[in-house]
Amino acid sequence: MLEQYGLLLGLIVGATGFVLSLYALARTTGKTRQEPGKDVPATGGQLSRDPVWVRYHARYYGYALLFLAFDMEMAFMYPWAVVYKQVGLVALLDMGVFLAILFLGLLYGWSQGVLRRQ
Amino acid sequence: MIVGARQGKLSGLRQLVAKAMARELTGFLVPGLDIAHAQGLDVEAAGVRLVASPRHASVLMVAGDISPALRNAAAIIYAQMARPRALLVLGAGGLSPLPSADVTSELSQPGLIDGIAQLRIAFAEGAFRPEVTDFDAPMLHVRVEYTCPMHPEVVQDEPGSCPKCGMTLEPREASANDVDSHPHETHDHHHESHDHQHEVHNHDHGSHSHHHEAHDHDDHESHSHQHEAEDHQAMDHSGMNHGDMDHGSMDHGDHGDHAFMSMIDVTKDLPRSSDGLPMDWIDVPFGPFFPGLPSGLLLTLTLDGDTVAGSSARTLTENVALPHHSALEPLSFVARLSNMEPLAPLAYRFLANQAMENAAGIEITTVTARGRVGALERERITSHLGWLALFGQQMGFGWLLRRAAALQLKFRHANEQAIMALKPDIESLIKRLRRTPLLKSRNAGIGRLVQDNALRGPVARAVGIDNDARSTDPVYTALGFKAISRDSGDSLARLQVRLDELRQSLALIDAAGTIELFEPANIGLATGAGEAFVETPRGAAHLRLTLEKGLVVTAQLETPSTHHLTLTDSLTKQQSLGDALLAVGSLDLSPWEIRQ
Amino acid sequence: MTTALILLLLAVGAYLVAVIEAWTVSGRWQLAAPITAGIALLGRESIVPRKLDRVFFEVAPVLLLISALLAATVLPLTPGLIITDLATGALFINAALVYVLVALLMAGWGPNGAYAMIGGWRFLGQLIAYAMLIVMPVTAVAMRAESLLTTQIVTSQADLWNILYQPLGFVLFFVAAMALAFLPPFDLTTATSELAGGVEAEYSGVRLAVFRLGRLVLVITLAATTVVFYLGGWQGPWLPPWAWSAIKILAVTALMLLAGRVLPRIREADLLNLCWKLGIPLALLNIFVVGLQVLVWP
Repeated sequence: MLEQYGLLLGLIVGATGFVLSLYALARTTGKTRQEPGKDVPATGGQLSRDPVWVRYHARYYGYALLFLAFDMEMAFMYPWAVVYKQVGLVALLDMGVFLAILFLGLLYGWSQGVLRRQ
Repeated sequence: MIVGARQGKLSGLRQLVAKAMARELTGFLVPGLDIAHAQGLDVEAAGVRLVASPRHASVLMVAGDISPALRNAAAIIYAQMARPRALLVLGAGGLSPLPSADVTSELSQPGLIDGIAQLRIAFAEGAFRPEVTDFDAPMLHVRVEYTCPMHPEVVQDEPGSCPKCGMTLEPREASANDVDSHPHETHDHHHESHDHQHEVHNHDHGSHSHHHEAHDHDDHESHSHQHEAEDHQAMDHSGMNHGDMDHGSMDHGDHGDHAFMSMIDVTKDLPRSSDGLPMDWIDVPFGPFFPGLPSGLLLTLTLDGDTVAGSSARTLTENVALPHHSALEPLSFVARLSNMEPLAPLAYRFLANQAMENAAGIEITTVTARGRVGALERERITSHLGWLALFGQQMGFGWLLRRAAALQLKFRHANEQAIMALKPDIESLIKRLRRTPLLKSRNAGIGRLVQDNALRGPVARAVGIDNDARSTDPVYTALGFKAISRDSGDSLARLQVRLDELRQSLALIDAAGTIELFEPANIGLATGAGEAFVETPRGAAHLRLTLEKGLVVTAQLETPSTHHLTLTDSLTKQQSLGDALLAVGSLDLSPWEIRQ
Repeated sequence: MTTALILLLLAVGAYLVAVIEAWTVSGRWQLAAPITAGIALLGRESIVPRKLDRVFFEVAPVLLLISALLAATVLPLTPGLIITDLATGALFINAALVYVLVALLMAGWGPNGAYAMIGGWRFLGQLIAYAMLIVMPVTAVAMRAESLLTTQIVTSQADLWNILYQPLGFVLFFVAAMALAFLPPFDLTTATSELAGGVEAEYSGVRLAVFRLGRLVLVITLAATTVVFYLGGWQGPWLPPWAWSAIKILAVTALMLLAGRVLPRIREADLLNLCWKLGIPLALLNIFVVGLQVLVWP
């Protein structure tokens, strides 16, 4: 089983090597010429030299918080799904309770105005 | 042979690549797709794929003559293209900051096709050349100013020390736009905020003093220092940009105070967003050649995340000079007015004609009047279809963009029979638009306007103001014209008004029965004053002129887009970026007719 | 050799995606266009923006390609043709595809340009919307197959394909897959008219070619994933398995690329709203319904 992951690692290295060889091939046609104004980010005809690495005001942080909760839940659901049929109805009820509690959390958040563009 | 070739010998791989480039041409269109369609050009049919970013383009296609400010912007676009790059100019001569055109052709579809064919040959043979020179132009250079951190009013062009305190002056890049912008409210404000920036920069000395020393004289080699420098720069610069704060609060005791400052202290004077968080704002130009905005319009948005916190809009097109106590031949006056606006040339031609006829006291025949009505309504249809194409592009609705553009090209020179034959196409377009899912929800509530008597055209009619120059025109009322209006005043209402006007124009052309561009009546050596109102596709335009012995001596023009431009600020406030652009687009501004 | 064959098929698949995409945009079949465009891009300059984050800028296109490739390694094209039949295949696909977000955020932050940055952050908003809608339907599929092995998931659909067994899950997964591949109408991150190319705008030359290649491989991988999870993989009556795989994958690709042309772009706020208020309750309902179905019909 470990050799499978070894193969995947080899694939990553191979893909990187392929990309680098493409870069090398493109390099044989010449270097990029440095000219004034060329490397300023393109903004439709005006030179905008101001840096943009600022604190971006993401308006979806309400959704992001709920997403964390649901993501943790999904991590638990994968193994549960595999043994579900074996265990039977009990599994459905167990997970049903878990999902219902989470769903109530979702409804609560919705009612409190979390699920909107802040 | 192209000027923007890459350096190298054309052999081997380079030859293969040059041939590939000749076959797959990607183009950046200047001024824009709306102008190209209005001139009758179908670029995709000519075999060039249009792209949104200059870096993906290999050809810069200039359609028609453009004003000096737009030429500068085009030169910037050209400089940002990746080599090998070519310049195709249709219907214009030398465009000064840009290099000389690689291929010139006439401004028509056959001219475009011919030009593209020549371009392909030029690429295949000239994409690589042994000797190339850099493209240089004045507006591409960084103008570095030196300023004192403690005294921001001290600005010099050479390095040195501050005369007031003796500190070494720090280099600062000047905003590129400052050189060619004419005095404008926001730009002065911008300069003020630069001062604020430096005061807060000092304000931050307290908490980050050791970093300040480190980045003071660095030449941007150290990556992390550069980060912090940029970070400070950006944070302060943008945070201070929209000073609702007063100068007074900035001066108090932090000069030289290096005590610890908590985050609350540091951010206490920053402007807050609508949810109460103080975040950093950036100024982004949505420049003259932005796909999805009318070309020629420079919309500078202050973005707080992807919400618009402030905006300023101006046009970079040329302000056409109208005679003011000088004499101008009537025919050249008509030509000047009609060439001013490539998106609605006929409307302005008729405006000039009617004003002159009014001033000279000439009556025109009913046949002429009906012919003019037919031509004006045809132009209204093409203009609305052009707007629909731009609207489709803004919404990311590919089908609408292509269909509306195709119909616009067909309607441009169609006679009455062809127009009646195209009527079912318009009907099916409208029907399909009404059936598109998500269109209504996307547009409802965007760009809501309030009642304002200075509004014109479909924008006014969508708010419920019955402002239509055609309602008082006897020729129109004889043809059974009634103004359309809606209530809600948002982007959806404006869309619906324009769709209804499409149908109405078709009915009017049918009733008028003839489309003719009659020559203006001979005004001889008349003298007098006159005025005229014409309902251009964007609203009523008003022209007042005085004739003296058959020459136009003074003229004053009011156009709808001039007032509508001032609405952009209120329309875009606190909207998300996509909604803001859609709201501005729904106004159907034509930067070419904006009078400054 | 399986690896080499599958990689070759992926390359052919990426080429076909490019051809189909060009057809949906212009209506013409241009068979040589993707290859010619690729060669042309090799010969153009690759401009590196100023004052950029070099690591992010360089890694982003490569990471996009690698993440799509990794997700493709666990997909079976025919009963024996799979690069790595991991025991946690279905989970691994999701894990690999998360790096698409990382790649796009890097591509957004790296160039230090406004349009790219906004595009990158918007994609994060899109991810928060679609991520649950990818994972929950996959859970329901795994419930039926009693395993996370992708080959097992295909064979579990021998009597009834999942698209009929759990249609709700299919719809949710399909929409979420389109959002993951940032295809229109979910193309907030590379919107032509709002961001003039957005995340893609600052790449030129060979880097742009790698970015586009990564995106094409991503689309075909997602189409193959949909086929494996919901359309019964290689199963079908008269034709050999590889033919069925190919037909189904290409059909799903065409459907994904066409759907975007008939709808306007969906806003980030609308997408989040729709996915969280409608999508997730439906996905939970889907899990519940499939749970009952699995117990009632063995």
